[in-house]
Amino acid sequence: MELLNNLGLGFSVALAGTNILYCFIGVLLGTLIGVLPGIGPVATIAMLLPTTFVLPPVSALIMLAGIYYGAQYGGSTTAILVNLPGEVSSVVTCLDGYQMARQGKAGKALGVAALGSFFAGSVSTLLIAAFAPPLAEVALKFGPADYFSLMVLGLIAAVVLAHGSLIKAIAMIILGLLIGLVGTDVNSGVARFNFGLPELIDGIGIGPIAMGIFGFGEIIRNLEHTEKREIFTKNVSGLLPNWSDIKQCIPPVLRGTALGSFLGILPGGGAVLGAFSAYTLEKKIAKDPSRFGKGAIEGVAAPESANNAAAQTSFIPLLTLGIPSNPVMALMIGAMIIHGIQPGPQIMTAKPDLFWGMVASMWVGNLMLVILNLPLIGMWVKLLSLPYRLLYPAILIFCCIGVYSISNAWMDVLLAAACGFMGYVFYKLDCEPSPLLLGFVLGPMMEENLRRALLLSRGDPGVFMTRPISATLLVLALLLLILVMAPAIRKKREEAFVEED
Amino acid sequence: MKKPLFALAAAVLALAQLPALAQSWPARTVKIIVPFPAGGPTDVLTRYLAEKLSTQLGQPVVVENKPGAGGSIGADLVAKSAPDGYTLVMATASTHSIGPYLGKLPYDPVKDFTPVVWVGNATNVLVISNAIPANSVKELIDLARKDPGKLNYATSGIGTISHLTSELFASMAGVKLTHVPYKGTQQSIPDIASGQVAMLFDNIMTAQPNIKAGRVKAIAISSSARSPLVPELPTVSEAGLPGFQSVVWFGLLGPAGLPKPVVDRVNAEMNKTLALPDVKARFAQMGFDQAGGNPASFAQVMQRDAEKWSKVIKDAGVKPE
Repeated sequence: MELLNNLGLGFSVALAGTNILYCFIGVLLGTLIGVLPGIGPVATIAMLLPTTFVLPPVSALIMLAGIYYGAQYGGSTTAILVNLPGEVSSVVTCLDGYQMARQGKAGKALGVAALGSFFAGSVSTLLIAAFAPPLAEVALKFGPADYFSLMVLGLIAAVVLAHGSLIKAIAMIILGLLIGLVGTDVNSGVARFNFGLPELIDGIGIGPIAMGIFGFGEIIRNLEHTEKREIFTKNVSGLLPNWSDIKQCIPPVLRGTALGSFLGILPGGGAVLGAFSAYTLEKKIAKDPSRFGKGAIEGVAAPESANNAAAQTSFIPLLTLGIPSNPVMALMIGAMIIHGIQPGPQIMTAKPDLFWGMVASMWVGNLMLVILNLPLIGMWVKLLSLPYRLLYPAILIFCCIGVYSISNAWMDVLLAAACGFMGYVFYKLDCEPSPLLLGFVLGPMMEENLRRALLLSRGDPGVFMTRPISATLLVLALLLLILVMAPAIRKKREEAFVEED
Repeated sequence: MKKPLFALAAAVLALAQLPALAQSWPARTVKIIVPFPAGGPTDVLTRYLAEKLSTQLGQPVVVENKPGAGGSIGADLVAKSAPDGYTLVMATASTHSIGPYLGKLPYDPVKDFTPVVWVGNATNVLVISNAIPANSVKELIDLARKDPGKLNYATSGIGTISHLTSELFASMAGVKLTHVPYKGTQQSIPDIASGQVAMLFDNIMTAQPNIKAGRVKAIAISSSARSPLVPELPTVSEAGLPGFQSVVWFGLLGPAGLPKPVVDRVNAEMNKTLALPDVKARFAQMGFDQAGGNPASFAQVMQRDAEKWSKVIKDAGVKPE
């Protein structure tokens, strides 16, 4: 009953005239920056931060939150139509969404992405309302040893995720790990592989890597076949998936939502990891994994639900602990502080209208996004259906602006350009770049937590088996490894991945 | 007779020019570089102050984040920009009192800058794990003495203020502690809550939620006077380590050779801004101490702090290995 009362209070705040307007502005802006590759929510929110000083805190936070989850919706549109991740979290959507578009099923893909996201958004809003406090305590139980084991599991999952040659997948992960090592070592303070450049002391960001390898690489690749248009706009009609599509998508959406909601809570996890994991899971349990990467509707439904669920549940550590799980959340903390609100568990009791208003506005915002996105897809598509010779330079410029604005560093733009060339080489060598990205993200976290766990245990490696969470995760990783290595499954896997493209 | 007349004329001319220069500045947007990521305490505060300065100066004051390498990338950018008053930096102890002594930097913290105005200080609070059988600075020191090296302290990385503050604490108390670096102090909270890490010097504001939720216990603050945000907490100096003090100054600097009228104008406007009641309230709310004063006093603070931290760095042997 208390939950209903709280949600009632929340909706009364969220539906109040000005708040609903700011929610709308937020999601509209979010969708726009999501569609445009390169311009991310971090830059947008940072730029809008000063303008929120004049707003009441609730309206300001509702708008900023809307930008963030709105971007998740918009990002998938670009991913499906042009195979460019509008946001990093829609990288996985490119794999099958773009293939669906090539087969003339762009409308279905967009529809499923929007509806799946809406469903995931609604569920995760309820989850935040019901479980925010207890779930945050779960995340607090994770120590360095547990994080290390989680990363091991993640990396092994990355191998399983990769299609094509196992050796190449492992090679890509290792390359990702190596790139991730660039920058200051947390434990000794030594700058590694920075070639004396101060710009590399903090390492290479995920922005330039993702934008370069997936975005620029794709553009270079497309320049090879000048005659062929790769944007699919003719068949975007018939947006709503039919009943058999929906039936096919219900389980993946449910699984994606569950996985994404869970991973969103973990610091450092968030939307990207959620989308990757959901895709892996679907591929693993599919009757016919060979359909993945060739336009499987589940391959769009699951990661899209997962990234949206994770985007929303990542508010849980923020609202309950004041711990940001990603850079956007760090900015949200900044926004709260400027309004004199200390993020943390006391928000719920001290400022119930703010807490519940924000939660309720997320659901309202998600509804707006569906209403906004389904009819507007036509317009977004028009934006993207410009001729290549106009579109590609424009996308490149937006990407450069986006990469630059992450931390206002020209070095990032050069890095993205270099990564673009790398992405093209990978394509030529038939190397799937997703494992590289995962290795890049997880590798440094894994090293950091491994060394910290050993520092705390004074060098005793037994700590990884004596802590229950860590032990469980390692056993899971081992099982997964056996599964990949088992001859029968390995053969099936190789059959499954006999190549496409 | 001619000479003094000439000198007088020159002086009159110079005087007439001074207000002209001060009046013509700012003729366009003033940029304040924040050498840290968007959303951090320095960024948030600077954005707040920039908004106030904009109305007072009648020109937009924009904040640009240039994070990286402990703030030295942003600071270097300002050191090498034109001294016209349109590019300033919100510098902190990290960029000017600590960074230069940790390794070679492309700028000289004194020669390459003009101090403009000292804005304030950020204080740290000493939090300890609930699992540690100590409730005061004295008890913590006794515990650390009993078992040298057994207690772990968390920091936000090698050479950061949280690291040097802990080193200062250990050397003044004469105890041996084990350093466990993190990428940010917030990351260490779960390990402090579980008792794996004993203590942490954390920013007074960011530490509040964890203290209020009872995840960690606060035992003292690092400044030399009590804070209005947590008046019940003693200073470390009161609680057993006389003379201990560690605060992070932050203030506006320009490139070397910034014209005096510009320095004076920014200094005056910032002092005016700091005196506004709502600004005062915001500082208190965010746990910052206000400073202000003239550029010369700011230069003194910078010099005193540089001497202090360079000594800690040398004594503790803090060097990237």
